[in-house]
Amino acid sequence: MDLTYTEDEEQFRDELRSWLRANIPDEWTRPGFWRSLPSDESFRMRRDWERDKAMAGFAGIEWPVEFGGRGGTPGMKAIYDEEMVAARAPQTVNALGLTFLAPTVMAIGTAEQKRDIIGPMLRNEVIWCQGFSEPGAGSDLAALSTRGVRDGDEFVVNGQKVWTTNASHGDKIFAMVRTEPGDSKHRGISMLLIDMHQPGVEARPLRQLSGDSEFGEVFFTDARVKATDCLGSLGEGWGTAMLLLSFERGASGIGQYTEFRRQYDEIVRVARRLGRAQEPVARQQLARCLAELECLRYHAMHVLTQVEQGRDLGSEASLTKLQWSETFQDLWEVFDDIAGPEAVLAQPRPGLDLIPMQAQAFWSRSVTIWGGSSQVQRNIVAERLLGLPR
Amino acid sequence: MFFALDAEQLTFASTVRDFLAHRFDLDKVRAVVDDTAGDGAPAALWKAAGEQGWLAVLVPEEHDGLGLGMVDAQVIARELGAGVAPGPWAPTVLAGEAVRLGGSAEQQARLLPRLATGQLAATVALRGEGGRYAAAEAPFEARDGRLTGRALPVEYPGIAHTIVAAAGDGLYLVDPAAPGVSVTALSAYDGTTRVGAVELDGAEAEPLPGIDAAAALLDRAAVLTASDLAGVAREALRRTVAYGREREQFGRPVGSFQAIKHALADLHVGITMAEHAVLFAAHAVDAGLPGAALAVSVAKSKAGETAVAATGAMIQYHGGIGYTWEHEAHLFYKRAKRQAAVFGDVTMHRERIAALTIG
Repeated sequence: MDLTYTEDEEQFRDELRSWLRANIPDEWTRPGFWRSLPSDESFRMRRDWERDKAMAGFAGIEWPVEFGGRGGTPGMKAIYDEEMVAARAPQTVNALGLTFLAPTVMAIGTAEQKRDIIGPMLRNEVIWCQGFSEPGAGSDLAALSTRGVRDGDEFVVNGQKVWTTNASHGDKIFAMVRTEPGDSKHRGISMLLIDMHQPGVEARPLRQLSGDSEFGEVFFTDARVKATDCLGSLGEGWGTAMLLLSFERGASGIGQYTEFRRQYDEIVRVARRLGRAQEPVARQQLARCLAELECLRYHAMHVLTQVEQGRDLGSEASLTKLQWSETFQDLWEVFDDIAGPEAVLAQPRPGLDLIPMQAQAFWSRSVTIWGGSSQVQRNIVAERLLGLPR
Repeated sequence: MFFALDAEQLTFASTVRDFLAHRFDLDKVRAVVDDTAGDGAPAALWKAAGEQGWLAVLVPEEHDGLGLGMVDAQVIARELGAGVAPGPWAPTVLAGEAVRLGGSAEQQARLLPRLATGQLAATVALRGEGGRYAAAEAPFEARDGRLTGRALPVEYPGIAHTIVAAAGDGLYLVDPAAPGVSVTALSAYDGTTRVGAVELDGAEAEPLPGIDAAAALLDRAAVLTASDLAGVAREALRRTVAYGREREQFGRPVGSFQAIKHALADLHVGITMAEHAVLFAAHAVDAGLPGAALAVSVAKSKAGETAVAATGAMIQYHGGIGYTWEHEAHLFYKRAKRQAAVFGDVTMHRERIAALTIG
């Protein structure tokens, strides 16, 4: 057992910490700050800040230098995730691109794609959306019906995507499109890289139950995309998508733990303020959540160890997703129990501003749905990790 | 970062696992369970524990031990749990820890080499009837080097050559043959482990001079028990999955139904987390990390809750057969129930987590 990072990794932590300290205004770290801004302004500020961070060398931490990354270790990426949360740094505006698209491009993209996609993404010159879900294709992704018809060296795309994060701010979208009839459900789909700034693409925001509009719908009406703007082979988009989703890996678990643990402490503060911190039932509930959060941290160390040992975690990402999403949701249920009737008051009172916490509590209802619902994840765990029959 | 068992630890685990599979399988366990008049400590298993270093794991090398840590010890505990193995391994190892942590050089030299080889079995009596497992609630009262009080349940007191007894001012060694000591066997439904009561009435006792050894011993006991529970839970799940693949109803394996699949998937997540938590707690105790107490309580509460759930699911998803005496599910279920309750149950450890994180 060795739960320490190397000297180089700790040195990296120091450098990152100093940069973050010098580049995050105090005001930004106030809970609820980002939500208090108009969403376009908040997006622009975060986009610019993230670009400056990339220019300072604090982006693409574990990516190879040839792709504009830092060439760091998996440990440095874990430290990066942890320190970003600890410093209350703005959240990335290009999460889908950075987490999923970039590593897929590095793995199977053409030389041109590698050159044209990764650098601009790191500098936030291009914000990427993911076009997977459709009104008729959620958990059953292969049932998608967005179609691309070949027209010379282009595809003409028609259809609709939904639950698209950053739909209103996106520049390009990596979209699953049926380009061939295919002899089976999983064949004949291509992952096309479509420019969203064209007449045939329309993005409409969707209002979430929290009142925010982080995602939206994307409509394709005779949208055009070059046939060469396909990631992976034409018709083999299912395989590309599976590779892409495999990069989730729960590798940001240490950052998640840091964030959730802070939220736990905030909930404890509310419990104290409301005089409920000594109630045995509340204490039992909080302690149960804390134990699950600690398990998430240990699990993150396990994942990091496996990555460092060069092992493929495969379907274990589903186990990771279940642990963090269910724990996070449980934590905010406990918050509601502890806050009691105050929990619904959307008006700050002296020493008790629950609005940012309500936002987290609402958000917690989404995490067991997006990125593969808990029900889909349980199927994957049961079939691929335990070997139960389909 | 290396949060995993190393190659030697993995080998240690497979040695114990292979021994149990080949030399002490469930039929042998069942024979011990059914022999209610026996001492519950099969000689073949005890011999192996002595010869193969299972008992020597935490004993320092200068006292003929292996000088390893809790991470290594929990490897053994987990395999013994998975095999629902009988015998006084855990109480003997814990008594050794009490001597190592709190004993004088003379006491260590006298006892540790014999505990390491299995020449002596020993046990610990740390909790009074109806009480909690806490150093502040010791079962015995000390007066002029003599102890009075009653502790239960104590594992294998009938064959222990030495009993480590907790009193308000620290730990003591008690000779079961001394005047004023009475050991009573107690019938208990987990037949894989024999328990009894230890009653002292002004019995002469030999203090272990080290301070704070009682609290440290309780944490170590909780970690080893949590590891046993993780092993019980993992094996219960493994057997239930195997049955779900094989048993058919409505023309399909029952394990293909999502009602069962999802429950087993959740158990797999929970058991995996319990295994992580035990590993971390063992390391935290070894390394003396500042968060060790929290880690121990996370591990014991998580493992206890998960093992009770997994063994209950083992009964449920075997259907009627799982509720019979002839099926092995009850061996796992009953051991999980006993182990979840000792050295701090889920509620007690959650309260300690609350005390550490809320105040």
